Amino acid sequence: MAEEKKPRREAPDPNSAKVKLGNIAADAYTQAQLAKERGEKIGWCSSNFPVEIPETLGLKVCYPENQAAAIAARGAGQRLCEISEADGYSNDICAYARISLAYAKIKEAPEQDVPMPDFLLCCNNICNCMIKWYENLSKELDIPMILIDIPFNPDYEVSPAQIAYVREQFWAAIHQLEELTGKKWDDENFKKVKERSGRTSRAWLDATSCACYTPSPFNGFDLLNHMAVMVTARGKDEAVDAMETLLKEYKENHEKGVSTFRGEEKYRIMFEGIACWPWLRATATGLKDRGINMVTTIYADAFGFIYDDFDGMCAAYSKVPNAINLELSRDKRIKLCKENHVEGLLVHTNRSCKLWSGFMAEMSRQIGAACGIPVVSFDGDQADPRNFSEAQYNTRVQGLMEIMEQKKEAAR
Amino acid sequence: MNLKVILDEFSKVAQNPKQQLDNYLGAGKKVILVAPVYTPEEIVHSMDLVPMGAWGADMQLQEAKTYFPTFICSIVQSILELGIKGSYKGVSAIIIPSLCDSLKTLGQNWKYAVPDIPFIPMTYPQNRKPDFGIAFTKAGYQRVIDDLEKVTGETFSDEKLIASLAVYNEHNQVMRELAELLAVHGEVSAVQRSDIFKSAYFMRKEEHTLLVKKLIAALKENEPKKGRIRVLTSGILADNPDFLSYLDVYNMQIVADDVAAESRQYQQDAVDGETGLDRLAKKFADMNNCSVLYDAKKERIATIVSKAKATKAQAVIVILTKFCDPEEFDYPLIKKACEEANILSTLIEVDRQMVNYEQARTILETVQTILSKQSPQ
Ligand code: SF4
Ligand code: SF4
Repeated sequence: MAEEKKPRREAPDPNSAKVKLGNIAADAYTQAQLAKERGEKIGWCSSNFPVEIPETLGLKVCYPENQAAAIAARGAGQRLCEISEADGYSNDICAYARISLAYAKIKEAPEQDVPMPDFLLCCNNICNCMIKWYENLSKELDIPMILIDIPFNPDYEVSPAQIAYVREQFWAAIHQLEELTGKKWDDENFKKVKERSGRTSRAWLDATSCACYTPSPFNGFDLLNHMAVMVTARGKDEAVDAMETLLKEYKENHEKGVSTFRGEEKYRIMFEGIACWPWLRATATGLKDRGINMVTTIYADAFGFIYDDFDGMCAAYSKVPNAINLELSRDKRIKLCKENHVEGLLVHTNRSCKLWSGFMAEMSRQIGAACGIPVVSFDGDQADPRNFSEAQYNTRVQGLMEIMEQKKEAAR
Repeated sequence: MNLKVILDEFSKVAQNPKQQLDNYLGAGKKVILVAPVYTPEEIVHSMDLVPMGAWGADMQLQEAKTYFPTFICSIVQSILELGIKGSYKGVSAIIIPSLCDSLKTLGQNWKYAVPDIPFIPMTYPQNRKPDFGIAFTKAGYQRVIDDLEKVTGETFSDEKLIASLAVYNEHNQVMRELAELLAVHGEVSAVQRSDIFKSAYFMRKEEHTLLVKKLIAALKENEPKKGRIRVLTSGILADNPDFLSYLDVYNMQIVADDVAAESRQYQQDAVDGETGLDRLAKKFADMNNCSVLYDAKKERIATIVSKAKATKAQAVIVILTKFCDPEEFDYPLIKKACEEANILSTLIEVDRQMVNYEQARTILETVQTILSKQSPQ
């Protein structure tokens, strides 16, 4: 996953969480490449597809969303988007999809190569756009696609009908994959994956909740980088180790009164939405220079994949951020804001993501009211650099800061 | 009745949905709004409620902007706008299916933007064909039934649903027959054709069926006007009269459509299954050829091409609703498939906020210039 570019200092400690987490993300591509070279079938997989399935089966997969983020962060988002647009794809389509479809066509990008897939694993719990994107990959690459459909849940609780529907699809997907790849499902193996996933999740939740301390022992931009591991590698031993290291470091930071946030933490905000990868530095600097630390995001809550059994896993996958209704989405955020003493909400209105941005205005109004904090939004895009204006961003962030300052003044 | 009188009847309804709503409410009927793309209207009908289509309207958006960012399609935005502005006053509820990302967000905004009209979600499965998918569709229908009973005080009975399915199956059948006839009868303009389809959303289906039957009879007696340029339209919605009138200006006849608000609605009947609800769920399972329905093999694309060939369409006109993801993903494949089949295809972007169709006019003019050089088949 992309890293915020910083001037080189001393060589990083190989036992640090940052290095360990970075290695896991990079290792996923290498592992898939090696498997491909061994003649194994490898897949492309959407980010919130149940990783337990490929992991238990011992299948190597790559994540086009991570690849697109990396490509965008390394400056090639527009180049790849334009390749898809030349084929007739509208520039209103999610930029991750445009980048991925372009890559499927040209099959190389020095910014982040991935081996070409033999099958596709799609799960639409984050958006239906994903279905359309994977259908086209399937058609263009002429390879099978397996869809686990996890519908957007209009209710607060997941219904038994939905659990049953999702459970059946999990098994159907497992059987299809067994047939396709010759690998076999093993309950014992699943148990281990489940336990590792639970441990990684617990460490992540505990690490991110260290933001409750003032100052926060970390800069929230760290979370945007580390979440890739949570999404894709939760079930691996290395992930357990790396996340537990992260938790240890954050605790130590707190005890020592230090933070990965450079400078004085004057204001604490929640950041809403996916990072603007092409503008990561600009967005981070715009906050840092004003002493604003983004202490939490919904990702802090989103990856708590802790469950007891198969049905619990089905329910967990039905509760990812874009699959839940306004009220549950709102309440999760209010909890994060309150627990982490958030003073303002900065909303990324992400041009790429209709579902994420479609009811954000109303939801953030409600969060602002419930927490008594100002809400400011800016226009951006997670991967298409053309949909972001640094000037607008800075004006909005400045505005947010001024309101937070006035509130502080009034409280003094 | 002569052809013109019947066609005017459709236009009157299509152009005045508010009047229809008031008529039904005035007659003591309870009205339920049904949003795109597929809504279990049959259930609503069977409970003696009037389903009325809510596909938005051509208008400038103001109030909806407080809820939606600009990049959500204008169909969804204008449905909310009409709701906020009170155009739907008096209806008992709105059913919104979850078939695209924008529709998912419409329901969430609706609850707060239009609190006096209850929102009833219809959650469809995308893996709709296996038994577990059908079971999930049924659970979704049951949820709609429960909510409708709560909101309206009416009760559901499967027997009545079976009777309603027969009404809808017959309507499907006459609409399919009509679409075929319209491929022959060039004397019906594009605007008139659209009004026939559009009016179906604002009338009880048995009334609409009767009128369509009259139209079919009148058409059969009429001398078909021949020699127009034969086109197939594709998209979610194509009902703007200014836009459609350019099809007539450039002598184009819609010989078939793959429009979600038109023929896509009438592809599948509800026939198989023990109970009425089983049949309705099976109907959804059997539905295909639509951008909002999972289609890994992209059969919809091949179907458009074969439909164009079967109706001897000389061009495929893709009328793309701006910001519609499902259609935007299919478009490059349609374009490619048409190229391979040697059929001219063209893209026209539309938006319910549009007032100027000059660009569409230019595109249609170009199509006409190219095609008028070919002799009509
Ligand atoms: S950014 Fe939004 S639309 Fe794009 S893949 Fe992610 S969830 Fe889907
Ligand atoms: S036009 Fe497209 S985006 Fe809009 S509601 Fe219909 S399917 Fe969804």
